[in-house]
This record gives sequence, structure tokens and C-alpha cells, in this order.
Amino acid sequence: MFIGKNSELSRRAFLRRSSQLAAMGAASSYAMGLAGIGEAAAFSSAGGYKALVCIFLYGGNDHGNTLIPFDADNYASYSSIRGGGGAQEGGGIALSRASLANTVLTTPQDQALTDGITYALAPTMARMKSRFDQGSLAPLLNVGPLVAPMTRAQFDNGSVPAPPKLFSHNDQQSTWQSSQPEGALSGWGGRMADLAQSSNTNSMFTAINASGNAVFLSGEEALPYRVSPSGATLVRPLDRNRLYNSSDAASALDTIMRSASGHVFAADFVDVNNRSLEFGAFINDALDNSTVNTDFGSENALAAQLRTVAQLIGARGSVGVTRQVFLVGMGGFDNHDGLIGQHEGLLSQLDFAMDAFYQATQELGVADQVTTFTASDFGRTLASNGDGSDHGWGGHHFILGGAVNGGRFYGRAPHVSVDTADQVGRGRLLPDTSVDEYSSTLAQWFGVSQSELPSVSPNIGRFASPDLGFMQPS
Amino acid sequence: MQSKTFSETLVGSDSGLPEPLNNEAVDAGSPDTGPALPRMAGIGAAALATAACGGGGEQTPPTAGAPPVVGAPPAPEVLAPQNDAEASRFLLQAGFASSAPAIAQVSDQGYEAWLDSQMSVPSDGTAYDFFESRGYNEVDSNRYYNITRVADYMVWSQLMSGNNSLRKRFALALSEFFVVSLNGINQVWRSQAIGAYWDLLNQHAFGNFRDLIEDITLNPAMGTFLNTRGNQKADPSTGRVPDENYGREIMQLYSIGLFELQLDGTQRLSGGEPIETYTNEDVTGIAKVFTGYDFDYTDIGFTTEVGGTRQIPDAEYAFKPMTADASRWRFPRNQDFHSSEEKSFLGLTIPAGTNASDSLTLALDHVFNHANVAPFFSKQMIQRLVTSNPSPAYVQRVASVFENNGSGTRGDLGAVYKAILLDDEALDPSGVTNPGFGKLREPILRFVQLGRTFGMRSISGNWAIPDLADTASELGQSPLRSPSVFNFFRPTYFPTNSVTSDNNLLAPEFQIVDETSVAGYINLMERAVNTTTFNFSDVELDYSEEVAIADDSLALVDRLDLLLTADQLSADVRNTIQSAIDSVAIGNDDDRLRRVHIGVLLTMASTDYLIQK
Repeated sequence: MFIGKNSELSRRAFLRRSSQLAAMGAASSYAMGLAGIGEAAAFSSAGGYKALVCIFLYGGNDHGNTLIPFDADNYASYSSIRGGGGAQEGGGIALSRASLANTVLTTPQDQALTDGITYALAPTMARMKSRFDQGSLAPLLNVGPLVAPMTRAQFDNGSVPAPPKLFSHNDQQSTWQSSQPEGALSGWGGRMADLAQSSNTNSMFTAINASGNAVFLSGEEALPYRVSPSGATLVRPLDRNRLYNSSDAASALDTIMRSASGHVFAADFVDVNNRSLEFGAFINDALDNSTVNTDFGSENALAAQLRTVAQLIGARGSVGVTRQVFLVGMGGFDNHDGLIGQHEGLLSQLDFAMDAFYQATQELGVADQVTTFTASDFGRTLASNGDGSDHGWGGHHFILGGAVNGGRFYGRAPHVSVDTADQVGRGRLLPDTSVDEYSSTLAQWFGVSQSELPSVSPNIGRFASPDLGFMQPS
Repeated sequence: MQSKTFSETLVGSDSGLPEPLNNEAVDAGSPDTGPALPRMAGIGAAALATAACGGGGEQTPPTAGAPPVVGAPPAPEVLAPQNDAEASRFLLQAGFASSAPAIAQVSDQGYEAWLDSQMSVPSDGTAYDFFESRGYNEVDSNRYYNITRVADYMVWSQLMSGNNSLRKRFALALSEFFVVSLNGINQVWRSQAIGAYWDLLNQHAFGNFRDLIEDITLNPAMGTFLNTRGNQKADPSTGRVPDENYGREIMQLYSIGLFELQLDGTQRLSGGEPIETYTNEDVTGIAKVFTGYDFDYTDIGFTTEVGGTRQIPDAEYAFKPMTADASRWRFPRNQDFHSSEEKSFLGLTIPAGTNASDSLTLALDHVFNHANVAPFFSKQMIQRLVTSNPSPAYVQRVASVFENNGSGTRGDLGAVYKAILLDDEALDPSGVTNPGFGKLREPILRFVQLGRTFGMRSISGNWAIPDLADTASELGQSPLRSPSVFNFFRPTYFPTNSVTSDNNLLAPEFQIVDETSVAGYINLMERAVNTTTFNFSDVELDYSEEVAIADDSLALVDRLDLLLTADQLSADVRNTIQSAIDSVAIGNDDDRLRRVHIGVLLTMASTDYLIQK
């Protein structure tokens, strides 16, 4: 069967494939014979398996205390703006300089950051400092949603449009994930999945959501498949074929879960039921045969999600995929208050989970083939509200993986200031790099051809280059 | 604009999909109504028109310059249920559950009289009463002042038992609009704090929006949740400025939303573009109003914790409004932390030097009187009670009641609640067969309906049902446990790549529907229906009336169909359920009970039930 054009990957075809999957039994791992003759011009699956893993930090991560200026002059500015009076001990929402000593990132010789800044990672991100030193981690500075390149003057006078509904959580989460505010029909992860689907034997597992409903993985055609930290959730009475001790009742439940009345919502609900019933046992069977020994700890919700992702990647042969996009997430970043203390705890969990996941990819021999990256609603103000920071715009993010050109900085470091031209008030950053450039760089590594980049990153045509350079040339 | 039937859209056709219906489409007059005011029928009449005309009904765009419908709503066309199914349907829109006695009452009294009588029933227990009576306000080795689970017990007890169920139903809807979450209030006695918040929602549920928003603003749990508590005026020497969290969310979520709206809930446009209601400067300006407040510790005693030295305040502190009088705080100060700057926002300027109380009054009055409040609030309440996609005319009728309840009062919540339920668009039985009318029942309502329909009772009296928000193993939703200030689902959510989106419809409750949660729900209900596993070890259900007729599978299906779905089960599903029931031979009452369990679970697994029409 030719699965070249995206339009053929309709929901009907989806269900048809799923019924074939069921007809052949879901008890063992196998491949379904859907040879995909993809549109070679649109997407390349050369280079073996590849996966992108998006870690979404919900609430708006305080970038100011994630990458902190460590050199004396810039630290003093940071300490002053954040309520520490410029003192080395910090105070207000400024971390102490001494606490940063172990996580200083050495700027490469051939790079010079703005105003001679030397950055340190947050004190609780020592593992990511190691990854930076090893060349697997790349910070991307001052990245945020932009419709087009924009100066402060253009922002002030409105001559260049800014993304709508700035500073609103739900809209900026959507904008980060899709380039559109709340109400978007697709996200760039999903649009990549659209192009990658035809490379996958079992295309229904191209986009995997281990977090919660988010537009990021919705494509024009691709539908995300949801797993929990323990894998796929099976309907217990159907798995046992007994409902209140009756197998007839279990059969009736199966029938009822798959039947829709004439209502629009019923049709969509039954679609989800069908996918859940069709794919659950298959996925769990694949996971059962996938061993990941890396310790993902406990009491770390992000690590739990990433462990499931690692197991799924380990099972990629059984699952029948060559290209996948994953979404995981953690919340709690809206630190209007309690920034000191809470935020470091969150970053500690992030640091542990990212590192464990990287180790797992090494264990599975796919470290060069899995690229993990962070995203968030927005950065935050540099100025303090007393014990926290408020909604911002641009922020700093990280890309981690064996194929990353790490150990060096990307994007432009912002001045440590509340009134330079790269700020829009109280130290909210005017992004210098756009989410579209970020996503297009990842997309190219993933296999999206140059000609197809605008379908993934709709604004990319207005920026100088679709490649920020943080991925090693394949 | 042409209207199309939905029958071709089932189960995922995309090519050949009919032209999507637009909410703004109008019918120049629906075929079956008489001299009522012109009704903008949206989806409803379009489906009817198509059925009548055979694929391509006529719809006339609104006449330019036609006067908007304002003022008192038309008298309801249907005064009383015509049959048991209509009565049951109304009960399930208005409250949590249906019952034979209630069906009889509403049939006898008529809709409005029944609502009036139910809405005026005095409360038989508040959250505070629950905590007091169960000993959860005590300072002892249980450390109730530092746990959350007794708040889960409290709210389940409120939802599952006691009178006042209509008020609680509306309070639950309010809790999903004015969101405060137990997950985000790290303060001493946090369970009691969310209890105090629940009590105030109930207190004002049929009162006035203006009183509600003021009490919400000063509520300790809200103060913690969105950082009003301890928010200070600006300090130019350190560059500190007021926390903007509450200032932003009170506008974005609790009153006016992001874009200017017409009274019918549709966006105002300027040059074809929506108009933002506020800018970041407005947020900065209004944030100054919410400064200088902390918990009021007047008459609050302290008890030493067991096994330690910490002084635990009385739980009552969480039930008192915050105060800007620093002499009344736990650690009294003789300073004023309220901003004395000029406070400008939304076209209002509060002069410099205005005190906290006056600033609050001026600010809340100004927000309350904004033209967006009526449609923004009314549309979401319609979504919580009746349908995800009300026609603009329906929104406008309800919003008009918000603006003026008929006696000159603005913000009468009881009148709004009645207007939603007594509107023809809610009551008209054609909604049952309208493929775009209604809503996906949210998981909390499904579970509460089970409890209330079958007389759930607590064995210990503690109502020890835990937080059920886990997606893989539980409901995926739990009352007062939203993951953020944005509730479990957004009012404008729709699943992408779906029949819903193809038809330009909204489906908020679908935001928590995925391959994991649909399985988790069935697994949870399997255990809830027969109250097994530790989640339900403290409760039991009473199926005695169902057991009494369980030998007659048709009678059992009829009863469950009427009570749980208002007779909305399709014939095929009824047959499937009846056969499954009949597969259990009757030897004794245990078998009869199993037949009932099977009937209940299968009914509540069906989309005929899950979609509330």
C-alpha cells in the first residue's frame, strides 16, 4: 500500500490499519506490512532511527535563575536587579555567587558572550554542567516566539507584529508548541510527525504523548498516542475477559465501547476508545520485551515519563518505527512566589531526569539518535516582585543528545539589565532567536527537507537561517 | 451559508465532509416555533432545517442593523416535563442525579417552581461543619493541619450526600471558573482553607457575582494560590514591584477574558481583528490594588503541635477574609503595605493615596461592570450545565439576565442559573437528537451521579474517598484538584483532527480524553460500581430497588436508562446491555446484584450516556 501523500493517512485509513493490527493478534511483536514509500522530497529517514523528545516546562521557567551570570560585573547587576543589592551573598530572588561555583560553564575560546558574561547553571543542575563539558548539552539563549525578527522600537510602535496574547500561560504554551495561540489546530511536533509517518511501519506510534493533551503533537493528520508512566493502560475487564465474573458482560463492554450514536462527540470518543483498545496490549507487549537498566529514581514525575519513553525507544523494532516525536512535561514553574527554594527543587528534578534519560540512550546505543530539548510558556521578569518573578517572554533552553554540538552557546546572551533594547520592561526578554528557528533546526536533523521546513515552522521564511547550528552535521 | 446534516460525518470521514457549520449562522425563524422572539438557532435549527429540506437548508445571515435582543428573556415555552424522560433530562442538567421521586416532583410542580423550591433549601452542612464534626480541626498527632486528604473527603461528602444539591452543582461549576486548587495552596490547614473556599462558593452560588468576586479576592486559599497574600507595594530602592499573578488572572479568567465580546459571546472585531481587553500595563496597574493583604489572626488562638514546639493557629484563620490592617496579622506591623501609587487600568484611575479598602471597592466595581463579564461568564456556565456549543442567542439571553435580572439587579447568579436551565435551548427535546448539542459529561459528574443515584453512604462517616485525579488508574479529574488555575479543561478546547473540529465545535471536556484516561475511567468505575478496592472501602451503594426488579432485565434496563441517561440509550445499546444482564442466571440475590452491576457499568460506559444531551 502506498502511503505517500499525507491526505491518505486519514482517520479512516488509521482505523483500517488498526483493525488489521487487531486481526493479526496483539500478543506478540511483529511488523505490519505497510511498506511506506514516502515522498522522498519531503522527508528523509536516512540515518536509522531518530527521536525528538520535547520536555515542556509548564508555567514559564525562570530563566534568570537557570543560567546565571557568574563573572563579577554581571553577577553584581544580576544581584542588584533581583533584590540582592548587588552583594555576592545574593538575597531577594538572587542566588548567592558562592552557590554557583560548581556549575560554571566555561565559554569556548572562540565565543564571546554579550558584555563578557560567563554563565553558571543553577546550583542544582550539576549533571547538566557535566554534559555541557562533555559536549552533549547546548544552551540556547533568549529564545521565544516571534512572528518576524523584531527590535524594541518595532515592538513599541507595533510596526512588526508580535505574537498575540503574550504573557498568557495557555496561549503562550500553545504558541510555543504550534506558532498559534490557544485554538491552534496543530503543533510543530505533530507536523513533523505528519512528514515522518510514512517512514514508519506502524505510523500510529509516530507521536507519543507521555504528558497530557497538548497541541504540540497534533498534526494535520498525525494523532498522538497517549501512554502513562506505566505504559499503555488496558481496560482490565477486557484484558481478563471477565466483567463482574461474566465473559458475556465483558464482550458487551467491548461492543459498547466501540459503538457511537449519531452524535459528533460520540464519534470522537469512540475513536479514542478504539485506539486505546487496539494498541494497548501491543504496546505493553513491546515494553515487556524492552529492558532499560538505568536508574530513573523515584518520586520524580518527569523521570517516570522519560523512563517510559526510553523503554519505548528500546522497543522501537517491535513497535515498528523509524522516526518518533515524544512529549513529556513537568509543571510548577509559575514561580510568582517562592522562587528561591521551589525553583531549585524543580531544576534538580529536571537535571536528574534529563541525565538519567541521556544515560538510558547510551545504554540502548542510541545516544546519537535521540535529541532532547526543553521548552516553556515563556521566560520571566528579571526584576523581582518580592519573592518571585512574573511572566516574561524570551528564555533560555537546552538541547541534549549525542548528536548535539554541545559545550558551546547558541543564540545571543541578553544584557543583564531592565532597560536595554533587548528588554521589554522589568527585564522581560525580547527574544533574539525565534521558536521557529529552534524548531526548524531540530526538524532538519530529524529529516525534514529544506523545502518542507515552512510547513513545520511557519514563520521560518522571515529569519536569516533555518539552522542555528546546534546539531552536528549528519 | 448552507447547513448540512451530520449523518455523513460519523466515524471519521474527511474527504466528502460537509461544509462545517458556523456558530454564527442564523436561521431566519425556526420551523416549529410560533410568535416567540426571533431565535438565532445555531446548530439546532440547522439540523432540523436540513432534515426538512433534504440536504441544504436555507439560512439567512442576520440582517444588518437588526436590534439586539436585550432585557428580560422570553417566558419559557415548556413549563413542565411532558414525560419522565424530559423530567429526568432536566434533573441531570440542573443537579447531579435523577430519581423517581424527583421526576414526580418536577412533573407535578413544573420546572421553575421546582427550581425555586430546591434553590431555597437551607444547607444541612458546610465544609466547616464537616471538619468540625469529624475532628479534623483538632491539633493532634494526626497533623490534620498539614495534609490534604481530608479536603478530598470533605468535597466528596458534599457532592455525594446532603441536601442543597442544586446549589452544590452550581458551586462545582463555579469552582471550575474561579479555580483554586488544593494542589497549589501550601499553607497551614490547607484542607480547611480549600473548605473555606468551597463554602464561600456555595454561600454566593445563588447570590451576587459582585459579592462573590470580593470574597474570592480576600479568601485565604485564593490569597495563597495566586499570591495576593503577602503581596507588597513597590520598593523603588530594590526594584521590587507588586506580584501580578492575581491581577492578571482576575481579568483573564475570572471576569472579562482576553478579547472583547458582544453580549452573545461572539468576539467584537475591529478591522476584522479581535480586540484585546487589556494590556500588560493594565495588569501592572491593577496588581497594585491587591497589595498589603495577609491573613487576619484576630481572635485566633494557638496550640502547640504534638511532639514538637511549633505553634499551630486555629483552623478558623482560613475562614476569615484577609485584611490590609497589619495590626491584625499574626506578626502585627504598624506599617501599611498597600500601594499608595496611582493605580490605572482598564480606563480607570484610582488616585494616589487611596487606601486598600477603597481601592478594592473601586477596582472590583469597575471590573464587575465591564461589558465582557456577562457573556464571558454566562457562556462558560452554560457549558458546565447544558451544552458545549450554545447558540449566540442562548448566550445573549442568559447574559442579558446577568446584566439585569428583571428587577434592575446586575450579577444575580441565581437568576443566571435559572435562565440557563429554563431556556428553550436547554429544554427543547429536539436537543436529544441534535448531533451537535450537549456535552461530554466530565468524570467528576459521572462518578457523583453514580453515588447520588444509588444512595452512596459512608460507613465511617468520614467519606474517605481520596483524590481521584490520576489518569491511568482513576477518574483523571477530582474536585478542587485542578492541575493549575486553568481547570482540567479550557472552555475553548477542541480535539484536533476530529469530527468535532471538522464541524467547528468546542468540546472542553475532551481535553482530558486520551487513550490512557478512557481506560482508566472504565477501570475506576468497575471498582466504584461494586465499591471494591481501597479507594471505596469506606462507602457503599444501595441497589435495593434495582435488585428488586433485576429478574426482569428489560425493566432493569428501562430503569437505568431513565435514571442515568434520561432515556438516551440507543436501541442497540439497550439490547446489548439486556443480553449481558440475561447472561447471568438468577440463583440468589448475589446474582441479582451482579446483574445490576453489569447494567450500571455497561450503561455508564456507553457514549449514549457519556454524551449528555
